Amino acid sequence: MKRSLDTRAKARALVVFLVAAVAVTWLLTAQQAAAATESADVGTVIATDITSQPMLTDATPITVGAVASEVDTPEQTAVSSSQSRVLQNVFNGFVFGLLLALASVGLSLIYGTTGLSNFAHGEQVSLGAMLAYFFTTDQPVSIPLTPWEFVIGWPLWLAALAAIAVAGGTGWVQDRFLWGKLRKRGVGMVQQMIVSIGLSLALLNFLQWWIGPDRLRLSKAIEVKHQFGPIQVGDITMMSIGIASIALVSVALFLQKTRLGRATRAVSDNPSLAAASGIQVNSIIRLVWIMAVSLAALGGILLALYDNGTKFDVGAKLLLLMFAAVTLGGLGQAYGALLGSLVIGVVVETSTLWLGPDLKYATALGILIIVLLVRPQGLLGRVERVG
Amino acid sequence: MGDLLIDVAREAFTPTTAAFALAAVGLNFHFGLTGLLNMGQAGFMLLGMYGYAITVREGGPIWLAIIVALVVAMVFGVILGWPTLKLRGDYLAIVTIAAAEMVRYLGRSQNFNSLTGASTGIRGNEFKGSFEALSPFPDRMVDVGPFALHGTRSTSWWLVVVGWALVAIFTLIFWRLSKSPWGRVLKGIREDEDAVRSLGKNVYSYKMQALVIGGAVGAVSGVIWALGASVQPDSMGRPTTFWVWTLLLLGGAATIFGPVLGSILFWCSLVLIKGLAAMWIPDTVLSQQQLQPFSLLLVGVTLMLLVIFRPQGVLGDKRELAFND
Repeated sequence: MKRSLDTRAKARALVVFLVAAVAVTWLLTAQQAAAATESADVGTVIATDITSQPMLTDATPITVGAVASEVDTPEQTAVSSSQSRVLQNVFNGFVFGLLLALASVGLSLIYGTTGLSNFAHGEQVSLGAMLAYFFTTDQPVSIPLTPWEFVIGWPLWLAALAAIAVAGGTGWVQDRFLWGKLRKRGVGMVQQMIVSIGLSLALLNFLQWWIGPDRLRLSKAIEVKHQFGPIQVGDITMMSIGIASIALVSVALFLQKTRLGRATRAVSDNPSLAAASGIQVNSIIRLVWIMAVSLAALGGILLALYDNGTKFDVGAKLLLLMFAAVTLGGLGQAYGALLGSLVIGVVVETSTLWLGPDLKYATALGILIIVLLVRPQGLLGRVERVG
Repeated sequence: MGDLLIDVAREAFTPTTAAFALAAVGLNFHFGLTGLLNMGQAGFMLLGMYGYAITVREGGPIWLAIIVALVVAMVFGVILGWPTLKLRGDYLAIVTIAAAEMVRYLGRSQNFNSLTGASTGIRGNEFKGSFEALSPFPDRMVDVGPFALHGTRSTSWWLVVVGWALVAIFTLIFWRLSKSPWGRVLKGIREDEDAVRSLGKNVYSYKMQALVIGGAVGAVSGVIWALGASVQPDSMGRPTTFWVWTLLLLGGAATIFGPVLGSILFWCSLVLIKGLAAMWIPDTVLSQQQLQPFSLLLVGVTLMLLVIFRPQGVLGDKRELAFND
């Protein structure tokens, strides 16, 4: 039964992806046509803009460049290079999706076991990255509201482990003192969701207050690039892929093979039935929280290495991609979140070929809305009434 | 200390406070009356400002600009509601927050630079002129008691008057509508959707109407905001929506004056906290640039505590709780 579900899901994923690709190309051609007619007068407007508004000069050359390249790129030479660019982007998207999956699998597990759409999950990703920075940087750091400054400067692997451990600790603390209490009081799901929004706002500002608003780098090492056919990969990225894959496979093994994992799936399926059959629902949920938050932290650290920099609001930006991935895969389905993340990652990265990098997240949100229109239960979700 | 108190008192009536009160009135249509979880109120506000500012910049009259702002926000509401209003509440939350972010991404995208001004936005002097020309107040600084504001320009007495008049009008409309048969159906949907459906009401259509009306009010609040500052897509991110939620829940959802009181309390206490912290906490512990995140951290904590311990807010009625799933 499981296998047939998987093949059907793959087929659906393919269909969704094809539809998205067709839509994007259609958009692109429409836009190019519009751009071609406009480009002449846009050029003059930009020229006058530059003279009249010196403030805008950092923005305008990009459009000038885009217009120029559109005009004088010959079709024939573009084909082979664009093909490898597409491959490179698909590969980048795959990597990004894998790292995104680390975060969204946790989000999905939390949703599955507790029913909570955790809006603070993005901040858990940032928290991981910030903690890793805190432990590894050679700049002086301090703890808020204390006047002492000190340097920790651990090697990156140790800092990452410490960050994941501390982040996992925050997961335990959260469930012990916040979510567990709320569940006990019988606070409604919608209320809990708004609590998580408050937590997200608080955490986001806490991180800004603590670490500051600058863009930070975890590692000063310069990445060595390797060429595999048309695809270029750095060695840090390869290591990230390895670590992320190991983490995801071990989560899958945990869910499928171990007693605890089976209990987790049982709670996810039907909490009352699980409780009746002797499963300690609350300790399972606590375990899920710790796991989800640690995975998110790992995702944050690997993303910081992959992007070669991080910021206090990196997770806040990813949150919506995570929601898109989780919804696409089916709310509460751990494997759905993985599949959804890969699709979202590839779409987000390939869309930069046509739409420009500042719109890349918008495509994922577009997918989210389309999925809810066409198949609200997601790719792997069971057909049930969701309203 | 005296200066701080004056600052706090001034914050109670600035156009920003009025704009947030209006946005919260809109959200009150969604959440207070109908129980819809609209997490994208900032998107409605941003669309409202774009609609207004672009129309005026292209030479349109003010009435047309306002209509454009309203229509754009209403269309946005229909597009959002269409896929999600039949689904469970948290789907609407996810989609509205995503759609609001999408509006922001599109607005700040280079592709629409000529229309929206990308991430720089639209500067005030490109669209404020025709509104300021209507001002009956003198074109200079005017002192009223201890408060000094410009008569006409930007954050002016003129905008204060218009902003709060709009707040009064929409609060009145909210009051009348919530007491009407229409409003009672909405409250019924909030309390028990299936019961209302079994009475033969078209729940989907009622929810859609609430979403669209609240969104239109949000657009008006965006216009007020833009007239006081400028059109800046990044000022309308998710935090803005969360502030609107916080102040609505603070004042009391589903109450008439909740949004107004909430907005005043929210902004005054924000200024008060920042002022007190700057005064008493030494600079080595909490530096000047850390004040902003520190006070917003408190906003987040306030939101959590409010929802957990006093979900009905200051004015609300425990029996009229809007939370259910």
